[in-house]
Amino acid sequence: MSECLTFQMGKYEARFPADLFYTRNHMWMRTEGRRLVFGLTAYAVRLLKDVYFLDWQTSAPVEVERGQEIGSIESSKALSSIFAPVQGTLLRFNDDLLSDPSAISIDPYGAGWLFEMEGDASVALRPEDYVKFLDAGWEATQRALKKQVQGS
Amino acid sequence: MNPSKLTVVLSQAQGQHPVRRHLEENLASALLLEHGIDVSVIPHLYDLTEDHTGMLFLRSITGDIVVLSWLYPRAAHWMLDRHGVKGKPGEARLAGGEEEEEEEEEVGPASEDTEAIGDEEKPKPIEAADVPDRYIYTLDLRQQDRPEPYLEEIRRIAAECLGRRKNTLSEGHSASRAGEMKPRGFIARESIAGPAASRGNGRPGSEQLLATPARRRWYPVIDFSRCTNCMECIDFCLFGVYGVDAKDRILVENPDNCKKGCPACSRVCPEHAIIFPEYKTPAIAGANLGSISGLKIDLTRFFGGDDALSLAAKERDRELVRDGRSAVGLTAGIPKRQGARNKEGPRDELDQLMDKLDKLDL
Ligand code: SF4
Ligand code: SF4
Repeated sequence: MSECLTFQMGKYEARFPADLFYTRNHMWMRTEGRRLVFGLTAYAVRLLKDVYFLDWQTSAPVEVERGQEIGSIESSKALSSIFAPVQGTLLRFNDDLLSDPSAISIDPYGAGWLFEMEGDASVALRPEDYVKFLDAGWEATQRALKKQVQGS
Repeated sequence: MNPSKLTVVLSQAQGQHPVRRHLEENLASALLLEHGIDVSVIPHLYDLTEDHTGMLFLRSITGDIVVLSWLYPRAAHWMLDRHGVKGKPGEARLAGGEEEEEEEEEVGPASEDTEAIGDEEKPKPIEAADVPDRYIYTLDLRQQDRPEPYLEEIRRIAAECLGRRKNTLSEGHSASRAGEMKPRGFIARESIAGPAASRGNGRPGSEQLLATPARRRWYPVIDFSRCTNCMECIDFCLFGVYGVDAKDRILVENPDNCKKGCPACSRVCPEHAIIFPEYKTPAIAGANLGSISGLKIDLTRFFGGDDALSLAAKERDRELVRDGRSAVGLTAGIPKRQGARNKEGPRDELDQLMDKLDKLDL
């Protein structure tokens, strides 16, 4: 994990290790043989910040569709469902996170890994393409966030 | 009815959750001993049908009400409203509760930004119709695990209601309040429920009130303090759940047509006005963003790979297929305005946004 790409979120610089792949739902992906390990990117973590609750809706192993809702995550100021990043078999969740999900915020690319899968990795992006993707969606993201912050 | 009495209605949790039952029982017995308070216990509010004794009873109450339930206060309020149990929302001050007023102040002043977002003529919420001049306080039983904080709050509310009644009596009609809300007549709800429960000894027995509802229900609840009557939900839902009333206001017309577990249309509503009280994510279940545990932003649409719209379409397709109909994907009832939103917006917004988020962070 020597090199990193960066993306500026306001004053915060999100870092993305160059040796990982990325998905559009803000997960990183590492290939270990046929296995794919996923976690949340620094971008996602910056939006969430201090994760304190994580819950999976299924137990592994299980077949999932890409985009299928598999769990939910909550921090002191945000929450989200979690969706399967690719289609395939979800082999194992990182059980350590269930009792203490803080590793997601502290060490997103290490101890904060979420789950292991086997499946179709073709949708994953290279780091530079992920950063481009972030760049393209940035304004819309800010607007949408802002709308929520200001309440409806 | 005696206007100085406050009616407290305790709505039980679904099932036989022992911890919840325990709190309910303790609360109910403590409330029986309170002066100036009438207490009744009914089943889970969300499951009650129009003609359930518990609902008839609620409709028969003409004075101020406190409803204790295992629901977000906002969800409970609009559920009652839908069933004709209408009133002005009373402001509860339960510890661990909502302190939204301040939050709003903090975020509110950024009016230049609001313009920059391009929210030009933002449509106004249509608000509840025909709200009588009384208050309904909805308290969430999940906020505290002991009865005492609730008792304290109910006493405070009882005093507040009493004070308000006295004022109204001495000043005639309180003009200041009436100014901000549309004038409205007391809709003839008493006539529907009157005979069933004329207070005093004609009141339904506790067994009748507690009759187990036939089944668990699942349907959307609209928050009219947010809903702008844009009709996106009625276009989106292909199961005939929504309709309009005689004044062309959106209405959950056939609640039981709704598909259990599906929250699809709540994702489509541009005002986040549609509540599914039993859904797992607090935002959809009626929690106030920016309340309870600080600001909760729903990031689902960013983390989904899909936006909320595609997700909603998927959820809808699943139900269509289950019904033996064909999936329609994004080809039916999809908001047209969505695309138009993705334009302009100054570049430096996020700095301010993140600053605001950080400020809200305690
Ligand atoms: S989509 Fe939302 S705002 Fe529009 S009519 Fe339905 S509930 Fe109201
Ligand atoms: S959840 Fe589905 S079935 Fe129910 S009202 Fe919404 S769109 Fe219709």
